Amino acid sequence: MEKAINRQRVLLEHLRPSSSQRSESVISPSICSAGDSAAYQRTAAFGDDVVIVAAYRTALCKSKRGGFKDTLPDDILAPVLRAVMEKTNVNPAEVGDIVVGTVLAPGSQRASECRMAAFYAGFPDTVPIRTVNRQCSSGLQAVADVAAAIKAGFYDVGIGAGLESMTVNPMAWEGSINPRASTIKQAQDCLLPMGITSENVAHRFGVTRTEQDQAAVESHRRAAAATAAGKFKDEIVPVHTKIVDPKTGEEKSVTISVDDGIRPSTTVADLAKLRTVFKKDGTTTAGNSSQVSDGAGAVLLMKRSLAMQKGLPILGVFRSFVAVGVEPDVMGVGPAVAIPAAVKAAGLELDDIDLFEINEAFGSQFVYCRNKLGLDPAKVNVNGGAMAIGHPLGATGARCVATLLHEMKRRGKDSRFGVISMCIGTGMGAAAVFERGDCVDELRNARQIQAHNFLSKDAR
Amino acid sequence: MPMFKTPFNGYSVKFSPFYEHKLAVATSQNFGILGNGRIHVLDVNPAGGPMAEISSFETADGVYDVTWSEENENLLVAAIADGSVKLYDLALPPAGNPIRSLSEHTREVHSVDWNPVRRDSFITSSWDDTIKLWTVDRPTSVRTFKEHAYCVYQSVWNPRHADIFCSASGDCTVRVWDVREPVSTMILPAHEFEVLSCDWNKYDDCLIVTASVDKSIKVWDVRNFRVPITVLNGHSYAVRKVKFSPHRQSLIASCSYDMTVCLWDYQVEDALVGRYDHHTEFAVGVDMSVLVEGLLASTGWDEMVYVWPHGTDPRAP
Repeated sequence: MEKAINRQRVLLEHLRPSSSQRSESVISPSICSAGDSAAYQRTAAFGDDVVIVAAYRTALCKSKRGGFKDTLPDDILAPVLRAVMEKTNVNPAEVGDIVVGTVLAPGSQRASECRMAAFYAGFPDTVPIRTVNRQCSSGLQAVADVAAAIKAGFYDVGIGAGLESMTVNPMAWEGSINPRASTIKQAQDCLLPMGITSENVAHRFGVTRTEQDQAAVESHRRAAAATAAGKFKDEIVPVHTKIVDPKTGEEKSVTISVDDGIRPSTTVADLAKLRTVFKKDGTTTAGNSSQVSDGAGAVLLMKRSLAMQKGLPILGVFRSFVAVGVEPDVMGVGPAVAIPAAVKAAGLELDDIDLFEINEAFGSQFVYCRNKLGLDPAKVNVNGGAMAIGHPLGATGARCVATLLHEMKRRGKDSRFGVISMCIGTGMGAAAVFERGDCVDELRNARQIQAHNFLSKDAR
Repeated sequence: MPMFKTPFNGYSVKFSPFYEHKLAVATSQNFGILGNGRIHVLDVNPAGGPMAEISSFETADGVYDVTWSEENENLLVAAIADGSVKLYDLALPPAGNPIRSLSEHTREVHSVDWNPVRRDSFITSSWDDTIKLWTVDRPTSVRTFKEHAYCVYQSVWNPRHADIFCSASGDCTVRVWDVREPVSTMILPAHEFEVLSCDWNKYDDCLIVTASVDKSIKVWDVRNFRVPITVLNGHSYAVRKVKFSPHRQSLIASCSYDMTVCLWDYQVEDALVGRYDHHTEFAVGVDMSVLVEGLLASTGWDEMVYVWPHGTDPRAP
């Protein structure tokens, strides 16, 4: 300590030369009286945390009618896998594993398709790939799996990705149902169509049709504004593909680079006219539910020390991940349980979070989760959500990572922590906490603080 | 332009005299007050894009300065805050490094400079008020120069004469030494306040530039040292490091606690020819490439290393 005090004295002399008599300023070690919240800024001197250096997605397109209706799933995945390598100049051979979240396709076939997609993307045969299925949160699970494997030391570089073509693989149940399911209510509830679970949430927690329609309109408005402002250009990888005219059968080559489900002109009055789908006197309509879409996303993760060695800009830091279970008949409440758990696991409080990406599976569950947690709507889905952009089940998690981290980069100092969460069919929820990376220009992004926000929690 | 984020606070940068794309960086944890140190060797990547790390070495205490050997392209010498001077051979695996650790200084070593004429020796200056002369083949120092009354911040060899060097000290003087003489050959009361840095002109072996806590930079002629040739004002805090250009006789680079890196032409009236405010903390290390004219490098306590050609924006992507 003596040494540190002397060093500090020498350096202070450079800054305060006027004090000819050497002033006695002394530093001494003490326990920080403000406690030890994870929200306090600290440097990553050890470089052993897991960071995200690139996150990209394809545009999300309406299934059966949209831009990817004639594109095979592996051709949707390959461009994003290629993009994360090309934009970072990382040698594909260095990747330790690729994990792809994908839901509807038959397991083994999809695993083979993903392996083939990796070859289309230019990966050598030495790089392994696997799929993961946690229903709607598969993309986020893939990112979390890679982060965990890097943390465990299995490898230093990995890709968490997501893929879904709901055109090729629509939602369906194959084969018969085990009659035993009827003996346990929860098991039976796992068979409920998602729309019914949405009606259950609306009914049980009193979410009105108007609230749901308003949420849908806001989602479209924000997504349209973000598209118009060119915000999604940072995260969308254009895909060169073909599209077949349904009438003439003519094949046309196109480049898909814009989400095609967003309707900027949607109004509450328009949505109010729509008929409910799942229940006669219900509230869930096609307008306030997530869209059925095709798309893919990919996230490149690595150990911080490696990213720094390569001089790669750090987009975000992976902080925590939690998956929870809830009652299957109201599966939509998942985020309301998962978010507090993930935030706590990161050593934070809900107030510390500046941005949320909560998947809008249904207007009902989205509004419920937002209100239940008391979140400021201005912080949630700032660039729209699944009701406007679409919800390609397995790809959604990876899509959210790309959207969240690029938005945090734009906001710079204004946002430090972000949360991604979604509900999961059969009654689960998942959430992950990300921290903004240090590649943002802190000064350029700084905004004036209107009221004094005490840096220390104890100052309150 | 290339930039690199270091885990610790930057202290010094040096271009390799052998390869135009190699850069050594000295860094220290917690602003060099307490903690570890790390030396990075970076590939500047002249094609643009980010800098990549070629290798790095960790030390138990902060690294305040680093310099390349003029004789062996793989040899680095580092000035460590624990008083040691460590030699690193880039050709060896990390486990084989450092190849030598010389512990003689009793306080922080603040600078190291390799003899560019004779190429077999180097000098270190320390906060223990002394300067030491070393050769690669000896385990102990050849000679200790003890005259300064306070920290010696920097000592630099004359680019023409193999035995002459100058030193800048917190005792407000700059001294010129000849290693063949028993005592210093000249005492220059250069500033009213601590002198933090000095350098020799590369074209006129009688000119010295000095930088001080008094915010000024002065250019001196050792043949007539009563008054400075010129005084360069413009920094708003202490000037931490100053350096003559290897390419142009009258060009000077400096960096300061005011977070800027400045370029000066001391022979013209409007001497300040460039000011770069890319650092967001104290700018404490600056270097000019010998191999590429106009190429600058800087580092600071904001944990950033920048390399850019003069006249361009260091932060431009």
